[in-house]
Amino acid sequence: MNDLKDGLSGPGARRAARRLRRLLNTPGLGLADLSGNLVWSGHSPDSDAVATLVDHVLRGETAKDLPPLTATPIYAGDGVAGVLVVAGPIRRSALREAASWVADAVERGRLEASADRAEQAELRALRAEISPHFVYNALTVIASLMRSDPDQASELMLDFADYTRYSLARRGDYTTVSDEFHAIETYLALQRAVLGDRLRVQVRVAPEVLGVAIPYLVLQPLVENAVRHGIEPRAGAGLIQVTGEAEGNDCVISIEDDGVGMDPERAREILAGRGGSDSVGLANVDRRLRHVYGPWYGLVVETAVDAGTRVIVRVPRFQPGVMP
Amino acid sequence: MLPSPRGLRVLAVDDVPLALTELCRLLRAAPEVGEVVAADDPISALRNIQADRFDAVFLDISMPGLDGVELANLLSKLSDPPVIVFVTAHEEHAVTAYGIGAVDYLLKPVRAERLAMALTKVVRMLSAGTAPVTPHRVRRPDAMAVLPVETAGRTRYVRRSDVRFVEANGDYVRLHTPEGVHLVRMPISRLEEYWADSGFLRVHRGYLVALSAIRELRSDSSGGLLAHTDLGDVPVSRRHARELREQLLHAAQTGMFDDPTRGA
Repeated sequence: MNDLKDGLSGPGARRAARRLRRLLNTPGLGLADLSGNLVWSGHSPDSDAVATLVDHVLRGETAKDLPPLTATPIYAGDGVAGVLVVAGPIRRSALREAASWVADAVERGRLEASADRAEQAELRALRAEISPHFVYNALTVIASLMRSDPDQASELMLDFADYTRYSLARRGDYTTVSDEFHAIETYLALQRAVLGDRLRVQVRVAPEVLGVAIPYLVLQPLVENAVRHGIEPRAGAGLIQVTGEAEGNDCVISIEDDGVGMDPERAREILAGRGGSDSVGLANVDRRLRHVYGPWYGLVVETAVDAGTRVIVRVPRFQPGVMP
Repeated sequence: MLPSPRGLRVLAVDDVPLALTELCRLLRAAPEVGEVVAADDPISALRNIQADRFDAVFLDISMPGLDGVELANLLSKLSDPPVIVFVTAHEEHAVTAYGIGAVDYLLKPVRAERLAMALTKVVRMLSAGTAPVTPHRVRRPDAMAVLPVETAGRTRYVRRSDVRFVEANGDYVRLHTPEGVHLVRMPISRLEEYWADSGFLRVHRGYLVALSAIRELRSDSSGGLLAHTDLGDVPVSRRHARELREQLLHAAQTGMFDDPTRGA
C-alpha cells in the first residue's frame, strides 16, 4: 500500500483505490480525504449520493449505509483521516479490515514524511548558519581595507574570527541571550563594513534577560534575514532594530527592519517551510523554538508590503531542562 | 613572586611564526609588560625558563613534540612557577587550562582588549602571592559607603547606593544620583578602587557605573556601546565592553535584576 504514502489526497490514491477494489472484488470503490475530495475506481454510482454519504461519515465519524453504497471512516493517528466508500454488496468485516489497511498505509506515510522533515530540518540548521554570500562579501571588504585602513581590517578580521567561531561552535544545544546578542553585534559590525551607510543599526538589551537560556543561533538567522530581505534589495538606507527585554515571565526579542516587507500570506508560507530555499532560516528557527518550548512559542511575523518586517521571538525566562 | 618593578617579564611560546610575532607585538604594546621573550618551540621555551626568571608565560596549546598543557604541567612543578596564560584556537581546551591552574586562556586570534584583561589577572595573581589579604583589602567592601559633599558651604552625605554612575571631571568626580549631581574632590581611579567590590565597574576612562543601575545596553551604527540608566547614558569603551557584559551576565544569573519593583 505504498501508493498512500502521500495520504488520501496524494497522487497514488487513485491507484490504491483500484487495487483495493480488485482485492475486495466490488463493482466500485472510492477513497475520500478529510475535505471530502473523492477518487473513484470502477462502476460510477450517483455522485451526489456518494458526496452526501461521505459528508455524513466525516461529520458523524461512524459507518453508514445508503444501498447500494456502504461507507466507513478511516482512522489514522488520533483522528479520522478520510472515508472508504464501496458500491455493491460487501461483508461488514471485510470493509472494516480494508479500512484498517488504508489507515495503516496513511499512518506509515505520515511517519515517514515527518522523519524526512526532521532530518531535513537538521541538515538545514547546519547549512543555514553560515551564508556564503555574507562570508565572501566580508572577506572582500577586509581584503580591500588591508591597504586603505589596516587597523580597521585587523579589527574586522577579529570580528570575522568571532563570527565563524560562534557559528561553528558545537558546544551544547543552548546558549545565553547575552552570547546571542554579542554574536549579532559582531555580525552587524561586519555587515556595516560591507553595506556602509546603507545599513543603520540599533541594538538594545535589558540586563535582566542576558542570562536567559536560548537555543543556539536563533537570532543570527533572523538578523541575516532582515538584512538580506529588508535592506539589501532596495536602494537607499535601511534601519535594523533589535531589542531584548523581559515581559513578565517571558523574554521577548524583536528584530525589525524598515525595508520592503512582504504580503502576510507569504510570511505564513515561509513559516510553514514553503518559502523556497531562500528563506529556510526563518522556518528552521520557528520549528526549533516550537520543538523546545511548545507550539505557543513559535515566531510571530508582523509584516505588510512596503511596511517593513518585525519578527518576534518569545522564550520563557525560566524553563526546566533548558540550560546554557 | 612580585612583579618586576619595571613591568612584567613575559615569555611567549607559539610554533606558528606569525602568530608568535603578533602575540609579542600585543604584549609589548601593553602597559603592564616590561620585557617580552619569544620562543618558537616548547624545548627552547624550557631552556629560556631554566636560564631566566619570568613573571608569566603565554603558551600556545597545540604544538608539536611537547604540547602547551604538558609544558604547563612541567612548569607547575617549579619551586617558583611563572603564571600561565594559555593561548588557543579551541575553546574546548578551556576546562583543561583552568584544571592545571592557568589564570586565563585567550582565544586566537587575540584581541588587545582581551589580552589586557588577562594581564590584569596576571598582575592580581602575582600581588596576591605576596600579600594575600591585607587589612586594607578586608575593609574595602565597606569603604566609602557614604561620601561627604559640600553644597553651598554645607556638608551633605551621598549614599553609594544612590549613585547611578560617576563621571570624571579633572581632579573631581561627578556623582549622578536621583537627587542631582554632586561634585567630590577625588580622582575617579581612587573611587573605582574603593567601590569595585560594591557593584561599580569602570566602563570608560571617564566613567564608573553601578551595575544594578543599568537598564539597557545600547549599540548603534557607529559600533559604540552605551549603558543606559534612568539618569542618562554612560559610554562604554571597547576595551571595557567585554568585562561589562561578563559582569552583567553574572549579575543576571545571580538574580540581581529579578527585583519586580525595578522600573524601566
